[in-house]
Amino acid sequence: MLRLVSAASKPSSAGRLSRVVCSNCSATIGRRTLASTSARSADITLTVDGKEVTVPQGSALIQACEAAGATIPRFCYHDRLAIAGNCRMCLVEVERSPKPVASCAMPAMPGSKVFTNTPLVHEAREGVMEFLLANHPLDCPICDQGGECDLQDQSMRYGSDRSRFHEVYGKRAVENKDLGPLVKTSMNRCIQCTRCVRFANEVAGVEDLGTTGRGNDLQIGMYVEKMMDSELSGNVVDLCPVGALTSKPYAFHARPWELKNTESVDVLDALGSNIRIDSRGVQVMRIQPRTNDAVNEEWISDKARYAYDGLKFQRLTTPLVKDGDRFVPATWEAALQAVADGLKRSGATGDEIQAVAGQLADTEALVALKDLVNRLGSDNTALDGGRGAAPPVAGVDVRANFLLNATIPGVERADAILLVGTNPRHEAAVLNSRIRKSWLHTGLEVGLIGARADTAYGYEYLGDGARALADFVAGKGTFAKTFQAAKRPLIIIGSAVAEQEDGPAVYNALAKFVEKNKERMLTPEWNGFAVLQRAASHAAAYEIGFVPSKHAAATRPKFVYLLNADEVDPAAISPDAFVVYQGHHGDLGAQLADVCLPAAAYTEKGMTWVNTEGRVQLGRAAVPPPGAAREDWKIIRALSEVLGVTLPYDDVLAVRDRMWELSPTLVRYDVTEPTSVGVARAGLGVLAEATKSTKVSGAPLARPIANFYQTDPISRASVTMAQCTRAFVRGEDYDDAARATEAAFG
Amino acid sequence: MSVFRAGADALLRPTLGRSLAWSSRALSTEASDVKPPVEADKAPSEIAPIPQKDVVTADVVSGAPAELRHRAVRIYQPTRNTMQSGGAKMERWRIDWDILPGGGRWENPLMGWASSADYMQGTRISFRSKEDAIHFAEKQGWDYYVQPPGAKNIPPKNYSENFVYKPHKLRIARTK
Repeated sequence: MLRLVSAASKPSSAGRLSRVVCSNCSATIGRRTLASTSARSADITLTVDGKEVTVPQGSALIQACEAAGATIPRFCYHDRLAIAGNCRMCLVEVERSPKPVASCAMPAMPGSKVFTNTPLVHEAREGVMEFLLANHPLDCPICDQGGECDLQDQSMRYGSDRSRFHEVYGKRAVENKDLGPLVKTSMNRCIQCTRCVRFANEVAGVEDLGTTGRGNDLQIGMYVEKMMDSELSGNVVDLCPVGALTSKPYAFHARPWELKNTESVDVLDALGSNIRIDSRGVQVMRIQPRTNDAVNEEWISDKARYAYDGLKFQRLTTPLVKDGDRFVPATWEAALQAVADGLKRSGATGDEIQAVAGQLADTEALVALKDLVNRLGSDNTALDGGRGAAPPVAGVDVRANFLLNATIPGVERADAILLVGTNPRHEAAVLNSRIRKSWLHTGLEVGLIGARADTAYGYEYLGDGARALADFVAGKGTFAKTFQAAKRPLIIIGSAVAEQEDGPAVYNALAKFVEKNKERMLTPEWNGFAVLQRAASHAAAYEIGFVPSKHAAATRPKFVYLLNADEVDPAAISPDAFVVYQGHHGDLGAQLADVCLPAAAYTEKGMTWVNTEGRVQLGRAAVPPPGAAREDWKIIRALSEVLGVTLPYDDVLAVRDRMWELSPTLVRYDVTEPTSVGVARAGLGVLAEATKSTKVSGAPLARPIANFYQTDPISRASVTMAQCTRAFVRGEDYDDAARATEAAFG
Repeated sequence: MSVFRAGADALLRPTLGRSLAWSSRALSTEASDVKPPVEADKAPSEIAPIPQKDVVTADVVSGAPAELRHRAVRIYQPTRNTMQSGGAKMERWRIDWDILPGGGRWENPLMGWASSADYMQGTRISFRSKEDAIHFAEKQGWDYYVQPPGAKNIPPKNYSENFVYKPHKLRIARTK
């Protein structure tokens, strides 16, 4: 039966054709053309290998060939980078053309006849491959790219089994470059496709990665001895079609065919980048991006990609109960009983029972914990860090008040962006690359209020706090005028704004400003009020109302339940309070605890995550949790039974039913639900009313993230992230020992 | 309808009645008592009736462990490996299982070989279309979750874009 199925599941090109054509059509509707009669770009029809195909005008020939289902080998062409046209591998034959043409650099012409599978084409590609292989070392057995190398794959078809080159001096030799603790270089293998250069130039904004020399002497490098300092540098490893740029932490650890792929969601920032977790046995071996045009395109930040080694260190594997000043391992039964006894002993009642959720808490656990605490008679559900223990400034009654309403792809449509108290480069690195893309290709203007930051694009600096915002609202300055004239203006408010002294005043000014400009900022198509969260759990926490009531926030808790909460202020917890920590790492929260309950990390549980735009995504477990660790909501469910307030769900589907009761969006996956204009306006009205009596102190809006590489317990436990901190944040030598070893193998 | 399903239907048809009869005799489940929905209430309703499924659960005769029915499968289209430019196997729809919580890995103390209590950990099945995958899951009696594929949005690209005149201040210095 199974054999029958796999034999029948040959890929068909029809599906791909229709999808590409349709998506291209929709993507080009907004393009401006010179023709005054029609704003729609025309489609053109051509023939590829005898098959008629229709593509939008202005497409490259390689796109037309792909749409027709013909596979074109390529090294330098990449869907998300500018076209270079320098590898010549994508040669095809076009009728009435004397020579084969590079299909990436040739526009698709209506009515032309293209052949991708003729002897001429094969011979031409074999010639190109021969030149590429002439200088490529025979490293495959010791090369980390082996098994997923484009050159290896394509040489199976177009490569020759022997060489006609017998140079006296041997093959070209190039010195390796030191690009930092993430990207390992082996420059002999480079085929000069320049994908890394184009990526660094266009997407990452590192404009000093480039080429020097010509012909055989062409080299890729930073011109001077320098590391590649970018939050997206790991993506050049993916882009490199050969093994010239490989992953340093993953070097010689596994081969791709040994790995199990699990498609999941990243939680180390609030974007919810789609990732693929590659695991072997019980270990996560690497994390790769997963293409999703609605969220992260094809990129992920270095923290998402390389913090996985933190999952191996500092883990809580068994329940721990504090005895005197040391932790003693306990059984689950004993630990849960200790929690119940502790609650009784602490004498906490009502709002004195506090639950604090951290950045990495999943939605199911938040719902279960809120239900548990509410059943114990408390409303004291807080978030860690900043002013999480107080009711949030923006309120949680209207989701438009705490979400990135413009959506992540929508940010590209904005023609003026004001950043308030945020540095998207550190808070959402992939979103930052979208802003850069838009800034490069359209006339986007960016303004910034808050601490100065090295974003990857130019901006007009308006000032450091609420005073500058008042000037902006009053229309002073050139950027304010640009903003007034913009058709799709966008204000991105950092999540840290609410945590600062002037936060309410800033929110008040912005809410009023949006209301005043509602015909441009609040329309059915466009909502220009966007809050950029930086913690994966916060959008979900606000969505389910995991915030304290005013009365609860004023209570001094006697029993504190920390759910993944590691940003808590130890001074805020009274010494006689009973503290329970539930989480996966022995970080700050666990130090404060009287009982530690080991839970699963994000790679070990298939839970729901809500990103900053309100997109609900389902993660997936790749490996089992270590030791006695369990999924978070199960721990809370078990505890509820010991505490005598049994929660009414026994499996994860029942928890999701409960989530549906709280907010139906929590079970609608992979979509963003827009807020209607009326509701969004009402929300801003409530916000303006609640913050109207605040005074401006003029204090500068501080940046929340000083060190991009270490923001949560996983990345703090990661060796790679510690090396990045040394190399990029402190400017120290990141790994003397490793460099000495590498030099020895030279 | 795929070739496979046509073939499978043709293969299954003679055995269908037999398996039903067997199940009613040996297990006396309600399967044999199931009658087509009686349309007693002819009143017009906003809610469309759930159509009767045309598949018979295979695990009555397949001998698969009963626990398998308690594990949901995910039906999804694997995305392209970002390390490679080829798009092979992207068109397929895959069924695989979530890991068994607590069914982790076990190491043989003698040889150090690793094994697992999860009997589905190495299994994944590919189908030509989503419908085929759903049909298969229904036939096996598995709960399934279909993850919709993301829409692809690659704008038309052109070599000449590298040389287009930009009216405002130059924002990029190309080093390629």
